[in-house]
Amino acid sequence: MYTYKTGISLIDEVKGGISPGSNILILAPSMSSGEQLGYAIMRPHEGEYALVLTTVMRSIDLMDFFSSEQLNRDAIGVIDSVTKLSTPDVSDTTQIKYVSSPSDLTGIGIKFSSLVESIFNGEFPPSDQALFPPPIRFYIDSLTTLLMYRKLEVLYQFLHVITSKLKKMEAIGIYILNNESFDERTLSLMKQLMNVVIEVKSEQDGEFLRIRGVPGVPQEWVRFRTHKGTLELVS
Amino acid sequence: MIRTGITGIDEMLGSGIPRGTRVVFSLEPGVEGRMFMMKTIASALKEKKNACIVSPHCTGRVFLSECSDILATDISNLDGKAVILDSSVRESINSREKRVSSRKQAWKNLIEDTVQQHSIDVLFVYFDLLYEDLGLSKALDLLPSGGQKDRITTVVEHLNLEGDSLISRFASENIFDLIISIHSAFTLVPFFNFFTLEYVSWARMPRRSIPYSITEGNIRLFIPKIIITGPLASGKSTFVSHASDSGISVDRGDLDGYRTTVAMDLGWLHFRGFDITIFGTPGQPRFDPIIPQLVKNAMGIILLLDATRPDSLVRAKELMDLAHAEKLPLVIAVNKSDLPHQMDEAEIRNILNLRDDIPIFFISALKRSDVHYVVESMVDRITRHPY
Repeated sequence: MYTYKTGISLIDEVKGGISPGSNILILAPSMSSGEQLGYAIMRPHEGEYALVLTTVMRSIDLMDFFSSEQLNRDAIGVIDSVTKLSTPDVSDTTQIKYVSSPSDLTGIGIKFSSLVESIFNGEFPPSDQALFPPPIRFYIDSLTTLLMYRKLEVLYQFLHVITSKLKKMEAIGIYILNNESFDERTLSLMKQLMNVVIEVKSEQDGEFLRIRGVPGVPQEWVRFRTHKGTLELVS
Repeated sequence: MIRTGITGIDEMLGSGIPRGTRVVFSLEPGVEGRMFMMKTIASALKEKKNACIVSPHCTGRVFLSECSDILATDISNLDGKAVILDSSVRESINSREKRVSSRKQAWKNLIEDTVQQHSIDVLFVYFDLLYEDLGLSKALDLLPSGGQKDRITTVVEHLNLEGDSLISRFASENIFDLIISIHSAFTLVPFFNFFTLEYVSWARMPRRSIPYSITEGNIRLFIPKIIITGPLASGKSTFVSHASDSGISVDRGDLDGYRTTVAMDLGWLHFRGFDITIFGTPGQPRFDPIIPQLVKNAMGIILLLDATRPDSLVRAKELMDLAHAEKLPLVIAVNKSDLPHQMDEAEIRNILNLRDDIPIFFISALKRSDVHYVVESMVDRITRHPY
């Protein structure tokens, strides 16, 4: 069975990574490095692909960010729910698909399927180390925005469908949510869909993370930093 | 009457959607089914109908741009008038009206005024956000009712996150006159998309599912694989050749001078609005190991028998088992029935152990009309089969 390396040494060294079909929720306050942590976990390794739903950054800026973080852009597809709001006539490419707004769950679902199909059909630039089924990491950046546009119950139902599909595809999901903006009920409902929860906090001496849901992995706060799209734990 | 603009669906519905009816396209998440609504919008506008489009999920400009991307048609240039109530209307109502009942009333007044002012013939509603804002019953109350209902046709697109229970409710409470649900057979990836005609109030029609593909701004009803199998020399290659508009046959002469298929026959045809691919298997037992591979992902099987060779029925049964034919729609065609023969239906049913509902046709594969009759029966069974 394929195992996804998370880039978090605590998980990768103890468990060898995480299993296909897993879903990781990052709970991070605003102004923290939670988003960067998400992109570090999403980073596609050799032979893998990554898909991102962006509700925050335009795809054009996101692709620049990937270049600066030295992520393999050829292996990344983007569902952009931001650009059409300002540029309605923008058209899809093989790797970038646009939806009308973050409220357009119909469009998001369709573009997700379309990108997955493109990967399976070999329409993304070829990789030297092709694997089958192609391992895919799907990152939603962010649930915070989606929850501003759609009701909790609706989003829960939608994510339930997405997580089932990820499981069938033997892919993994990564989601980020600002835990300061929502009540306990929202957090608890979202956690129901997840296998792993990574909490993030910002303190004066740096950023810290805490991992829940991976047996055998210590649950203490650990300091971390991200650099060039990779993550480093600081002892 | 308005047409959906999708060949095959309009034919099944008896030339389209009657005036004053309510239609819902219920989309499973992740399935490219937006074209059903958009094709219907374009079709209504082409027929010079005036349309009100309620699209609370995006601005009017984005909506027109998406229509243009998906249909390759600028719907604002068509003959009918399109009035769009877009996301700015929703934002305005939601910021102005704080109570759900007031929001509902604001929408209702706006839709009624628009219908009257622009002599609207068809109301198109993107339903999910109205459902979310108002709840199901209040959102349904926005659709034309009473005297207005007789004049205005309503077409709704809804992202169905509740599955079959919502569709059952729509059908059992007669909320819609036509319910079409749109799905994907999803394995590792979407294998194929299909729609199910769940309910039609104006015609007696069985629930049926039909695969489709989207090509160049059109929805083509699609059957990716029908298998023709049967014993050696039962006429499979002739059948495939006469069924198809075009095709390839990989035949070789054997030592006795007969032609035999060494890999497969392949044929393509466009039949009653369907794009169909037909695969003919070889009949020689030495090719048996490839049959399970050929049958993979098939949607139906036609078993061809030779009416003059009752002794080949045992081999036919072997092929049926190899192809797992009992799990798929199956039709039996008894070829060469224009020649003297003794094989009868009871004997076939007995030896092949067939269910009573599996049809048996006595045909000559040399006659295109016979072959098309069998294909028509196969298509009909595929469209009724719950994949």
